[in-house]
Order: sequence, then structure tokens, then C-alpha cells
Amino acid sequence: MEGPIRNIVVYVDGTEEAITAAQYAVCLAKATGAQLHALYVINTRALNDLVKARIFLDTEEQEYHRDLETDADRYLNHVDKMARRKGVEARLDKRSGTVHQEIKKKIEEIDADLLIIGELSHIRSRRDEFYHETERAMRLVQCSVLMVKDEERVWDLYDAIPE
Amino acid sequence: MALIDLIKPEVIKVPLESKSKEAVIRELLQLLVDAGRLNDFDTAYDALLAREAKGSTGLEDGIAVPHAKTDTVPSITLAMGIAPDGIDFQALDGKPSTLFFLMLAPPDQSGPHIEALSEIARLTQSKSFCRMLLRAQDAEEAAELMTEED
Repeated sequence: MEGPIRNIVVYVDGTEEAITAAQYAVCLAKATGAQLHALYVINTRALNDLVKARIFLDTEEQEYHRDLETDADRYLNHVDKMARRKGVEARLDKRSGTVHQEIKKKIEEIDADLLIIGELSHIRSRRDEFYHETERAMRLVQCSVLMVKDEERVWDLYDAIPE
Repeated sequence: MALIDLIKPEVIKVPLESKSKEAVIRELLQLLVDAGRLNDFDTAYDALLAREAKGSTGLEDGIAVPHAKTDTVPSITLAMGIAPDGIDFQALDGKPSTLFFLMLAPPDQSGPHIEALSEIARLTQSKSFCRMLLRAQDAEEAAELMTEED
């Protein structure tokens, strides 16, 4: 009988919290045998908004876009290494667009059972409920969502898996 | 990194004392130094002026968002200043600037940097919110308005 979790998507956005989430996702994939997918979304929506608001010059937008491409590769490669170290295969996916919409699309495309995200900040404003991309994705996706907390415990869990 | 996590009264100045663009940038950077969030004042100042040299970050309707990538800060750092009388920041519409959001970010945190700037852009689209902010009597009141703690 198949387990309850077959496809896991972990969203990696370049924060420490997302890296902890990825570590936990590796642990969970190892324990359940689920396929792990790591997703990074280059937030081109925000870049466009900044150009429209004239906070960014066109040249600045191009520079930041390149930076984000580099960040995406770096963070996805980091997740890949973390997964390989524990004998888990991670399928990497780099996309561009509006973050919460791309996360939703990914979940639907692979019929994911579980979305794993990093811990959200303790203090939240009403504004964040409307605009924080990870928060929006959490509310929008059809599958279950797991928010990873307690970084130290996750490190211990990850370290405990034989390499 | 949400804006709410960056805004604390110790990095807000109400009212700003400066009368020129360079002085405003210095005054806001000094806030960050005093709050223990910035060590290398000069490097951060040079990075901000280099960005301003490419085009003013003084936008329309009194908003200015001086920003730069710099490794002088370990994480995204924001200072805010309010100048009810307005300061010439060579804004796009030629009007004096009244609300200043100065942001510094390390070069390897472009994603969170963009999201934080984007949040400022959204926030300042509300003219009524900007009017309320402009009427804030002190840093605590401004911080409260920014974080909407209700």
C-alpha cells in the first residue's frame, strides 16, 4: 500500500527558514520514500512592480534579475547536495513569475500531496495576509501544508540520517 | 523578510533635521549606526550616493526610497525618516520629499530585498496612509502605523 505522501514540494526562497524547511523535507522524503521536488520562483512580478513604481531603473531591474537567477541556482544546488548526502533524489525546478501562483501551478502539475515551507515571522500584520507570497501560497494550494519550525531539532533530525 | 520585522522606533526619525539630499542620507545612516545595525558608515554612504548618481530615488508625491546593495550589513536593514516640511531630494515630480525609506541589503539577499522594496511601493500607493504617516508625532507612532498592530 502506498503511503499518504508521494510527492513533496519544498519552496525555497533564499531565507534561512527555507533552508531548514528543505532539511526537514529531505528527512521526510527519506522516511516516507516520497519524491522530493524543490522549487524556487524568481519574483518577476515584484521586479516589474518596482520598475512601474520607478524605484528601480531598467538597468537595476536587469541586474537584480541576474542576481535572482544566481540565487535560484545556488539555493537549489544547495538543496540538491543536502538531499544527495542522505541518499534522496531532489528534482529541482526554477521558475519565474508571481510566487504564490507558480507554487500553486507546481502543486497541481505534479499532483503534490504536501507543500513544505519555512517558518513565517511571529508578528504578522494584516498586510502580510494579503501580500506575503508564502503566506498566500499556503492559503491558496489544494494540498496539505507543513510549516517547519524549531531549526535545532531539524538539524538533529537531518544529522541523524546516515549518509 | 517582512517589512514589519525591520521597522522599530529606533530606526525612525521624526522629524528629520536635514535640509539636503546628502544630509538626509547621512542622518538616516547615523540612525542605523546608533541602533547597532551598521558599522561601516562611509561604505554604505558611498553605495547610496552611487545609486543616486544613476537617477534619483525621490519618487512622486513626497516619497523617497534611497537603496543600495552593500556587504556592510548582514541582512536587510531599513531606516525611515519623516520631514513634514519637505526636503529637496531631486524627486521625479520636482516636489519636496517628505517620507524617506532608506534600505540596505547584502548582495546575496536580492530576493528578500526586492520583496521588502515591493512592500514599500505598495504601502506608499495609499495617499491616506502617507498622510497619516506624515502626521505622526514621534517614532513610536510612525512604527505603530507601519506595523498595523491592531
